[in-house]
Amino acid sequence: MSDDHAEHLQQARAGDGRAFGDLLAPVLDPAFRLAMTMLNDRTAAEDAVQEAALKAWRKLDRFRSGAELRPWFLAIVANECRTARRGRWWGVLRFADLDRLQRGAVTDRGWAERADLDAALDRLAQHHLLALSLYYHLDLPIEEVARVLGCSPGGARQRVHRALAALRPAMAMEVDV
Amino acid sequence: MTPDERELRRALDERSGEPSPEFRARISSLRQDERSPSRTLSSIALVAAAVLTIATIGVLLVARQALGPVRSGPASATRLTSPTATPFPSPTPTQVFLPQTAQLSAPSTDILWAYFGQGLLFRSTDRGDTWEQRTLPTQNLSPFANVTFVDDQHGWLSTGGSPESECNGEGAGIWQTNDGAATWQQVALVDGSGPSVNGIGLAQCKENLSFVDRTHGFLAAWDANHQPTIYRTSDGGRSWTGSTLPDPPGFKIQAGGFTLRAGLVKGFGSTLLVIATDSQGSDYVFRSIDGGATWTPIAKAAVGADNIALATESRWLQLIASDQSLETLDAGKSWHQYPTDYSQAAPIAPVVSFGDGLVGYATVRGSIQRTVDGGMHWLIIKTPGT
Repeated sequence: MSDDHAEHLQQARAGDGRAFGDLLAPVLDPAFRLAMTMLNDRTAAEDAVQEAALKAWRKLDRFRSGAELRPWFLAIVANECRTARRGRWWGVLRFADLDRLQRGAVTDRGWAERADLDAALDRLAQHHLLALSLYYHLDLPIEEVARVLGCSPGGARQRVHRALAALRPAMAMEVDV
Repeated sequence: MTPDERELRRALDERSGEPSPEFRARISSLRQDERSPSRTLSSIALVAAAVLTIATIGVLLVARQALGPVRSGPASATRLTSPTATPFPSPTPTQVFLPQTAQLSAPSTDILWAYFGQGLLFRSTDRGDTWEQRTLPTQNLSPFANVTFVDDQHGWLSTGGSPESECNGEGAGIWQTNDGAATWQQVALVDGSGPSVNGIGLAQCKENLSFVDRTHGFLAAWDANHQPTIYRTSDGGRSWTGSTLPDPPGFKIQAGGFTLRAGLVKGFGSTLLVIATDSQGSDYVFRSIDGGATWTPIAKAAVGADNIALATESRWLQLIASDQSLETLDAGKSWHQYPTDYSQAAPIAPVVSFGDGLVGYATVRGSIQRTVDGGMHWLIIKTPGT
């Protein structure tokens, strides 16, 4: 942890909002990207990250000095996304999706395969989608994926494998984790 | 990188995006507007604890002197079955910020209750023209708390809890009011501290509490690996029995999220209907004619949109957009286009509650519309607290 980081953390814990802002700025982008892949909806992603920022601000006393902020904050964001997906708003199909469903037969095979994969990601259980997003989209090292998921690196590797297996009906994955 | 891995990264990239400058500014202003409350709360907590300790000791001393020697006796079996009246501070006007989750309960043509996710409850006795704020038993409510009322006085609230991974388990508290949400009593609690004494297990996430009269109610439960459960009570919420929904035709439950979630149970005489939604958004309607002991799938929605509104036992609507809405008059056997002037800005389906076959209310993200002709014409009414 850099001296700047430690100083910001100390100031933020003392109630300095600006210092908390400086602390959070580098992790805002990955947090938002994670929320977008989890929720696939800009408004919902903004809500989730906003709520996560407020919770992080309130829980800052619990953040361990010397720990990395990014996995800690991403874990809060992931939790907010889980909450959002459990909500009633999430149980509905967007009107735009209705248009897509009603568009009829697909002639372009490539488009169809991509649509299959997109649909499979939509259907994927949240914990699988989270593991894939952290590893393949945010490109986090497996040790950091493990910290976000709250498990060992071996456990994180296993979760990524399981997520791929769950996605396999839509694509034949051959990857090294 | 294999082609398939590249394809997965592409698909994830397409779902993703960068935060807008406006959103960055919003987050920045949030942080500067709100001071970390932890230190303030610690100080308040210390002072409060000291005051409470002194007050409690004082009260106990006075009580001991007034009552004489303390009698020993069996401890209460459990607090789950001993309802506790709650303190009820006078409701103070509180603003509702839109958009947010709103839940409507329309027990009759004129009575309408609105519960907002931020923890506010309102009642209207004139179809939403005027509102009064009512109290809640606790401010410690999860985002999945919900309320259900059978008239202007009698209602129940499920607090929700903290769900386990994949919704393998979740506690819940059920509260009852008999005086229009002035006071509340806890009638059931599931907290995992011991075996269930009220019939509700810790397993699965609890949601969608609904009562069809003063004694008969239902609570849905689901997880990512098993069939959904619908608990039923016939004593106002004190004891519950669960039964599961069978797989509807064309759908097979699979572990890993391919399961059903049941909605609110709606009663039409001796017939009960409930809509369950699968992980892909398809809606199935189940019927029970034995009080909820067994459920039979009877129909599937014309389009999956989680927006079937049950106006009567056999007349249902799917409000999608003014030129796409659908109606069935034979309990889902056939659907036809339904002309309605319903429209809204949000690109998601509304949740509709009918008080009877004609008067109904639709809500999306806190905005409310009313129909008095069965869903053909809609009028925006003022959201309470705004």
